[in-house]
Amino acid sequence: MNLPKLGAWLRRRAEDVIVALLLAMFLVFLLQILSRYVLNWPIGWTHEVSVMLWIWLVLFGAAFVIRDVEEMRFDLIYGAVREKTRRRMALVTSAVAVVALVVSMPATWDYVTFMKVEKTAYLKLRFDWLYSIYVIFAAALIVRHLWIGFRAIYGKAPEAYDPTKASSGV
Amino acid sequence: MNFTSPFAITIYAITILALLGMPIGLSMIVGSIGYLWMSGMDMGTAAEQFLNGMYSNYIILAVPLFIFAAEIMNSGSMTERLLRFCNVIVGHMRGGLAQVNVLQSLIFAGMSGSAIADAAGSGRMMQSMMTRENRYTPSYAAALTAVTAVIGPILPPSIPMVVYALVSDASIGYLFLAGVVPGLIMTAMQMAQVAWDARRHNFPIEERVPMREIPRVTWAAFPTLLMPVILLGCIYSGVTTPTEAAALAAAYAVMVSTVIYRSLTWREGYNAVLISAKTSASIGMMIGGALVFNYVVTVENIPETLRAILQGWELTPLQFLLLVNVVLLILGCVLEGTAVLLIIVPVFIPAAQGLGIDLVHFGVVVVVNIMLGLVTPPYGILLFIMTNISGSPMKHIIRDCLPFLGWMVLCLALITYFPDLVLWLPRMAGYGG
Repeated sequence: MNLPKLGAWLRRRAEDVIVALLLAMFLVFLLQILSRYVLNWPIGWTHEVSVMLWIWLVLFGAAFVIRDVEEMRFDLIYGAVREKTRRRMALVTSAVAVVALVVSMPATWDYVTFMKVEKTAYLKLRFDWLYSIYVIFAAALIVRHLWIGFRAIYGKAPEAYDPTKASSGV
Repeated sequence: MNFTSPFAITIYAITILALLGMPIGLSMIVGSIGYLWMSGMDMGTAAEQFLNGMYSNYIILAVPLFIFAAEIMNSGSMTERLLRFCNVIVGHMRGGLAQVNVLQSLIFAGMSGSAIADAAGSGRMMQSMMTRENRYTPSYAAALTAVTAVIGPILPPSIPMVVYALVSDASIGYLFLAGVVPGLIMTAMQMAQVAWDARRHNFPIEERVPMREIPRVTWAAFPTLLMPVILLGCIYSGVTTPTEAAALAAAYAVMVSTVIYRSLTWREGYNAVLISAKTSASIGMMIGGALVFNYVVTVENIPETLRAILQGWELTPLQFLLLVNVVLLILGCVLEGTAVLLIIVPVFIPAAQGLGIDLVHFGVVVVVNIMLGLVTPPYGILLFIMTNISGSPMKHIIRDCLPFLGWMVLCLALITYFPDLVLWLPRMAGYGG
């Protein structure tokens, strides 16, 4: 399998993951409603599981699925300038993002691993496992912004932002 | 105020990064990391605020579920059947299809909490119906779809109100109820404007649907029409929390689309979930970024400072609300709605409380402001969507939006000046504010 094909395959699998996460969250909610109001037997763990699925959905999605054009951003200048200017802008923002995320990485790591002392109330899940996705997210963002910066120098400008593709749900 | 303090530099950094095109959520995280570093605090606090904030704000889970419900409605044939039903009711009036557009948005608003979902869901179909045989100009059709879509989050359910509840701790149930009267006033104003336009421009009348057809069309739309009733019934009878009601709405939409209408293929279903998941992740990043940034704002005691400053001005509650309206209307022109709700609005909340303004009333005023921002240039997301769908130049769409915008500002003025318009219904339901 060649590289672009592998990339596309991986992206589809990542999409499968967030689809599964959202569906699971939905089903857990239905289970909660069913058990509390129909069976009259409230269960506490659904609360924990649904919040956990939400955190993973956001961070996994932001790290591996959402493209740059699909994220909410401020468009007034970015959308109006020529490609060359956009490349320079992308270089600056990706450099700042990489520096901030790399510099804060040790502290982030410390925080997440420190959370091993705490467990969730019902399922006794360790918080360091639950929160590990943040470290993965930060690492993925560092790689992605290195790539965006690299492309801005040698290759092409990032795609022009399309406000109709990004949605904030309002 | 110190213009070289770590906080000031953080504000410059976030603004510049956002202007340079960094996604808003990430700009806030990166800027806040910079703040923590400059003030010698633990940089792991960014992760801590993001994760703990997400973990403890359970109500926000309503957002992905409402998005999911709206996606399913638009993928199956629920929206389409609703349009046909509305045509039976108001199609025979002068400017019939234009009235259909308004009525459809009103009913859709009772099922979905997103204006974008309304415009994107019915926009394409409405556009082709309205512009067929040159009935209406493309720009008028597009403008009407855009301005009627804003009713969506004003009537319950409402995604922006869930986000407002997150930043203000106001009750979602009462907030939802508080939007009902303003939403109906706005719809009435839109219908009046359409009726006026229809007489002036001699808009076409749709052929009356034959009497024997009416039961069939109504029956076909019936499960869809039942949805607002079930949704609001569950919330206000106390059967479900508003967050759970979002899941129930999605479940009902899935059931109607698959079991009753049999109009949802696996492929469409998968895509609907995927789009919802992506949108949720994108909003989640903004919420997470705002949680981190709001920590910085709180450490700096900004809302209290602003409250003290405003107290020094000795504003009356009404003057304060007018000030907020002006600020939000200006910001709404250039910023995205959820960003305004998450970043700007929290700063005003202590001041509003200090002046004795009811937070449910304040929430509705804020949400109506944000909705106006969706149809005001240069950054009006509904204008972008409708330009995209209609192919009509944005300036023509804006021109046709103007009379409706005038009505919306009037409605905003009314609910600002008469809090009772907003609070009457929640009080009937037992709200003590």
